[in-house]
Amino acid sequence: MKGTYLGEFEELVLLTVGALYPEAYGVGIMDEIAKETGRSVNISAIHSALRRLDEKGFVKSEMGGSTNERGGRRKRIFELTAFGKKALDEVQEQRMSLYNRIPNISFSS
Amino acid sequence: MKKQQSIRPPRWIFRFLTFFCKEEFLEEISGDLEEIYHVHFQAHGKRRASWRYAWNVLRFFKWSNIKKTTRFNSNILTMTRNNFKIAARVLWRQKVNTLLNVTGISIGIACFLLISLYVKQEVSFDKFHDKGDRIYRTWTLEDYGGDQQFFYTNSPLPLEKVLEDNIPDIEMAVQYNRNNFLVGEEGARINEPVAVASPEFFEMFSFPIVNGNSKSPLADRTSIVISEAYATKYFGSKNPIGQPLSLLIQGKNRAFTVSAIMKDLPKNTGFSFDMMISNANDELLYEKRALQAWFHVSPETFVLVKENSTLKAVEEKLPAMIKTVLGDRMEEGEYTLGLQPLTDIHLNPEFPVGNMPVGNPKYVYVLGAIGLLVLLIACINYTTLSMGQSMRRAKEVGVRKVVGAQKSGLVWQYLSESVLITFIAMLIGLAVAYLLLPIFNNLANTNLVMPFDFESLWVYLVMALGIGLATGAYPALVLSNLKLTNVLRGGSSSIGGKNVLRKSLLVFQLLLTVFLISSTLIMKKQLNYIQNEDLGFNREAMVSVVLYPDSGGQGLGDNFTSGFKNGQLLKTKLETNPDVSDVAMGSHIFGSDGWMQLGFNDNNDAFKQFNLLVVDPYYISSFDIQMKEGRDFDPALDLDKRESIILNQAAVDYFGLTDPIGKKLPGDKFGTNTIIGVTEDFNFESLHSAVRPLVITQNDQNIFSGINDISISDSPTPKLVFKYNGTSLLEVKSILDQAWASTFPNEELRFDFVDEKLRLMYQDEARVNKIVGIATVLSILIASIGLLGLTILIVNTKVKEIGIRKILGASPVKIFAMLFSDFSWQLIIAIVLSVPLTWYLMSNWLKDFAYQINIGVDMFLLSGVLAFGLTTLVISYHAIRAAKSNPVKALRTE
Repeated sequence: MKGTYLGEFEELVLLTVGALYPEAYGVGIMDEIAKETGRSVNISAIHSALRRLDEKGFVKSEMGGSTNERGGRRKRIFELTAFGKKALDEVQEQRMSLYNRIPNISFSS
Repeated sequence: MKKQQSIRPPRWIFRFLTFFCKEEFLEEISGDLEEIYHVHFQAHGKRRASWRYAWNVLRFFKWSNIKKTTRFNSNILTMTRNNFKIAARVLWRQKVNTLLNVTGISIGIACFLLISLYVKQEVSFDKFHDKGDRIYRTWTLEDYGGDQQFFYTNSPLPLEKVLEDNIPDIEMAVQYNRNNFLVGEEGARINEPVAVASPEFFEMFSFPIVNGNSKSPLADRTSIVISEAYATKYFGSKNPIGQPLSLLIQGKNRAFTVSAIMKDLPKNTGFSFDMMISNANDELLYEKRALQAWFHVSPETFVLVKENSTLKAVEEKLPAMIKTVLGDRMEEGEYTLGLQPLTDIHLNPEFPVGNMPVGNPKYVYVLGAIGLLVLLIACINYTTLSMGQSMRRAKEVGVRKVVGAQKSGLVWQYLSESVLITFIAMLIGLAVAYLLLPIFNNLANTNLVMPFDFESLWVYLVMALGIGLATGAYPALVLSNLKLTNVLRGGSSSIGGKNVLRKSLLVFQLLLTVFLISSTLIMKKQLNYIQNEDLGFNREAMVSVVLYPDSGGQGLGDNFTSGFKNGQLLKTKLETNPDVSDVAMGSHIFGSDGWMQLGFNDNNDAFKQFNLLVVDPYYISSFDIQMKEGRDFDPALDLDKRESIILNQAAVDYFGLTDPIGKKLPGDKFGTNTIIGVTEDFNFESLHSAVRPLVITQNDQNIFSGINDISISDSPTPKLVFKYNGTSLLEVKSILDQAWASTFPNEELRFDFVDEKLRLMYQDEARVNKIVGIATVLSILIASIGLLGLTILIVNTKVKEIGIRKILGASPVKIFAMLFSDFSWQLIIAIVLSVPLTWYLMSNWLKDFAYQINIGVDMFLLSGVLAFGLTTLVISYHAIRAAKSNPVKALRTE
């Protein structure tokens, strides 16, 4: 069983999958990440990350409808699982609890 | 739809994607890629989009996406993988055995690699020239009947032009020569060898020009090409192109301009120069007469045969050409010109040496053979060990056969083991060879580099595979042939019969090792002998200094007179030092072959040749050369300066003189001369040849007037010698520096120790001895490893026997003797067999020396004792442990 550790890039992809629901698929995620963070990511990296997330059970997927732009091929639509949502919540929570402990004094001046 | 179809990504890239991509991912990946392609197409156009598409496809080419097809999933592949897995496990389980095997083979491989590097360098001399297969060097044979045959590879100066003009099959002819010039400005001159060659030199030979005029670097008379190393030596970090450089040619300062920098010459070429000037300078170097003379030879001439012509076509036209040029100066057949391939020069001792060094091909073959022998020893080692091991593995084979393993399957399985072992050994061997290379270079005085290019990696790979299959073949066959019933019944007797082969392999291996030991010892003895042999003169602490004759002088005679005169200045300075004694001067000093050789027709018109040594009156006494009859030169006598000569005993015998004192040389054209003394024979050349007739004189003119042939390969520049009586050899340099600087401030000081030069005369032999020595040590190591492995094996299989014997009362000594006797018999057979082999091969080697040692019985006794001692040492630990072990332990189980 692979660890359920969430890498930085994986987290980003996972968040995007959640945000784009119900239209999250490879190129869409890539574009969204580029738009939101300015990071230019290769499509193969997105695919690898999605596959890893799938293995860890954070996302599930099914084939969607075909479009002309893709030469008639179907998209694989990704969707956050409950487990994935929980993982995101946890990460968020950890972040916030640490963030809230930053004392104000250090930046007051 | 139509519009969409027109913008589709390149088909072939898409096909590649479908080829490798897993079926389940193909649709989404290709869909996504095509979508991106469309976006790019609209934004950047077709080209950019296609490139991007290709790049993206490539990015998807990773393990998780690649289909694991059934196409490769054949039975062979699975079995091979399984075989290697099992092999790895077996090897890991028998750690000691594996360790011994791997060590043995890797030492063998390392040794083989090192030696083959040397051999490769020797045989690859001048094989890298692009036009090399069409380049030939001329040789000349003058034959006047009788002893008067002159064979040389140098050629007359006009030959280049004559060849180019007369023979249309020749694309170009190039002359190459080496001269020593003083290079640099007044006051800071360095004596450098400078090549003088035709301007087309760099067109014919592939020596790359890295900087400057690469088209015609020697176009002008004043152009000079220097190597990268010399560019740094003379100009440091400055750009050397266009810089001036002056050479002292025939007494005059000549300005040259650096026109090009060439890459430093590779190690495997016979050419050797760091500076080259055009042979247009021949006009400055030689008199007019020499430029046209056909019997004054100096440079080597190379010809490039046209692509559509052949060597034969050129050779057929040569006699006619000689006839037109020489006319009636030559009879038919007296003057023959021929061609020798460039690649043949380095290892063909049948042609006389010109400017290019010639190696001894025998040594190359001998070393190659020894490298193979050591590898063979290592392989045999493995074979014998794994055959011994097969007893242990018999049960495994039985079980495998019961389960249904086929013979071929078993063979492959055991071969996998040996292949795996050799691959590991190859890696270790390569690493060892790489690490040992500097030491090897140091010991053997070579300059080898280990290649790690693609080609050699293949060679290493194939080598490992080959060795693996060769060593594993026999054990694999033996094991797979075992009779099922015999094995499972429990007796290992079925292997007993094969012991003969195993034993003979061991004998053979020991034989090779003993042979190597004795050969090294004999070579060492011979080298010691020739280096310490009484040569007939004193060489201890003698220092020789090269003198500078006046540069304006004409001919050899002036060369001696002015050189000696200059030497006199140095001599007076040196003699003030209490540590310096026995100062003398002469045209040649011991430690270099090729003293001036003269030929003349004697009173009976028979052609005679002798060596000439021009000296001052102190030479003979300084070197402590013994007089046999008569007297030495007397410095006080003017007569001696004019007409007295001294012969060596060999000359007296050769000229057929009886009672020689007071007689003359047997030729009528010599000036007035009187033999005043005869010396004992002393070896003025290397001990490869017997002492040749030698005439010693103070007045060279007297002798020169009577000769009709002269050949010199050692420099006839006068040299001064003295004996240093002090203790610190470093002192010598400072004494000389002082005396030199105040006498010849503008010239470079060059001096040598005579005994060092004498030692260097045998450096080829010394190198071979060192390499063979290294090979011997390694082969002893391998053999010891093999013996150790076998001992462990035998002790293990005989545990029960030893136990029972001990219970019945055998003493530890008896047990030890029992274990030892087996090996000792094989060793004795090996030693006995090695004697004739060594004798034969070593006598052959010794034939190269005019003075040789006797291959005494002592050599063989010594190597025998050595081999026995080593065997005992290797065997004893395990044998003694077995002999002393408690029999209860051995017999308790089962």
